[in-house]
Amino acid sequence: MTTGALLFMLISWAFVLGLMFWAFGKILHKQRHFDPDGIGPAAPPEPGKFDDQGRRIR
Amino acid sequence: MSTSGQSSNEAWGSRIGLILAMAGNAVGLGNFLRFPGQAAANGGGSFMIPYFIAFLLLGIPLMWIEWGIGRNGGRYRKGHIPGMFAAIWKHPAAKYLGVVGLVIPLVVLIYYTLLESWTLAFTWFSLTGDYWQQRTPEAMQAYLSSYQAIGDSSIHAVWKPFVFFFITLFLNIYILSKGISGGIEKLAKIGMPILFLFAVILAVSVFLIPTGTNGVTAVEGLQFIYQPDFSRLGSATVWLAAAGQIFFTLSVGMGTLQTYASYLSTKDDIVLSGIATAATNETAEVVLGGSIAIPAAVAFFGVSGAMAVAQSGSFNIGFVTMPLVFQQMPAGQILGAMWFGLLFFAGITSSVAMATPIVAFFREEFGFRRETVSWCIGGIALLFGLLTIFWFQYNFLWEWDFWAGTFGLALMAFIEVILFMWVFKPENAWRALHQGADVRIPSIFKFIMTFITPLYLGIILLYWLYQDAIPILMLRKSPTGGEVPAGTEIYVHMSRLIIVAFIVVFLVLIRIAWKRNGYDDRTEFPVVEDTPAGIPVDARVAEA
Repeated sequence: MTTGALLFMLISWAFVLGLMFWAFGKILHKQRHFDPDGIGPAAPPEPGKFDDQGRRIR
Repeated sequence: MSTSGQSSNEAWGSRIGLILAMAGNAVGLGNFLRFPGQAAANGGGSFMIPYFIAFLLLGIPLMWIEWGIGRNGGRYRKGHIPGMFAAIWKHPAAKYLGVVGLVIPLVVLIYYTLLESWTLAFTWFSLTGDYWQQRTPEAMQAYLSSYQAIGDSSIHAVWKPFVFFFITLFLNIYILSKGISGGIEKLAKIGMPILFLFAVILAVSVFLIPTGTNGVTAVEGLQFIYQPDFSRLGSATVWLAAAGQIFFTLSVGMGTLQTYASYLSTKDDIVLSGIATAATNETAEVVLGGSIAIPAAVAFFGVSGAMAVAQSGSFNIGFVTMPLVFQQMPAGQILGAMWFGLLFFAGITSSVAMATPIVAFFREEFGFRRETVSWCIGGIALLFGLLTIFWFQYNFLWEWDFWAGTFGLALMAFIEVILFMWVFKPENAWRALHQGADVRIPSIFKFIMTFITPLYLGIILLYWLYQDAIPILMLRKSPTGGEVPAGTEIYVHMSRLIIVAFIVVFLVLIRIAWKRNGYDDRTEFPVVEDTPAGIPVDARVAEA
């Protein structure tokens, strides 16, 4: 395979694969919904706060 | 993912499901059959320069525009193009312009289902080794022709194409009748991973083919596709071929992306999802589509043989060359079934989308149940699909493919770009796109979408009008190229008459719908109260 053909192939593949991974990476990272299906609460529940004796702080 | 407040089957269950369904709609037969031939015939590696420029100036902007029009229509519970156009242009003509968004998907659905049924039939023929005795291109061509032409029963029984067409159409309509999340999304979640899996297995198998008697391997096929020929960059034909490929591969101008997007609320992102959809389609096309058919053809028939294959047309690559290749490969029957299975999944995830704008129109404007509309569309597709089978040899199908599946798509895309970016105004379009967006679109795209995209589309449309549409209309040229075969004129006129009849019927139905529901062409549709977004109409533009 010539250098020119290899170069064009690699650039083309890198462009489309890079765009796809960037988009899906952002989608999965920016998932604003808690549950995987996205139909649950808009934000994940926060972990509870507890005092030294293990009682929940309200 | 938020819904439009309708029953659970009338909304997307998840964002990934939506993107897979959108990508499934875009990934079709052209990704695996048309792209490699186009690249090889138009300058190889240097073809990728106009190809990616067209992707950025035409593909991505059109993708966003269609998602934007669809989501905006969904706010008024309009999942069909006449309603979407009327939502962005307060003029009596807007709804009638939308007729293209009902006729095009119906016509394409009918003939595309037939093409899809060929892939199902050849999946079966591969598994059973039915074509294993056809060892030459001529024999394989005769095998395919006998299947396609009803009058030729030299190899295939007459009933075969009908049976596979019925099965394919039944599957399409059954999935459609099950709704968005219950049918289309489930199909995408199953079909798309299978499609990618089959494509990867096939690509790996092709590159494992040892060097044959002709002394070349599949890697030479990549060389054949990507070898740059910069002298071709000065040719307008190459730039138009690249733009045409981008246009067809993304399934824009069909009306289906808009209907899918109408089930989203203003809290949902459409910018990033649009990019993800386009990128998934491009990966299927450039990485996988370019790594199967042409490299396999080069490995077995040499570069000159592959050149002849590339010039013989997309269907010959898929249905003549590839079966010959599989006959020479270990586990060829399984690989053959995978190849045609891959094409079948690529086809069905696209065809099932095509009826959704029509289903939306009858559900929303006439109150019909989804199941009722779906099976009625199935009946119409069956009736006219039989004509495409009976009259296949008279170019009946290819006439529809040109007017609805080629020229019609560009016309529809041009209309929607003008409406969204010029009538709706760039500022409103920009705000509408960014509602709920996960990323911001670079500002340069506002200029591109307003000026460059419509100009680019206008040039393509004019070129096709001059180069193809007028000669084909005047019967000086056949849609498949060359002269119009003698004796086929009556079938050509019949095919055009049917398209005109569909247009008239839908125009009347649009008028009835508007009168029946008391819509005023000069005022906004009432925004649906129970949409999760719940944004008042007047605040539509202000909200971002």
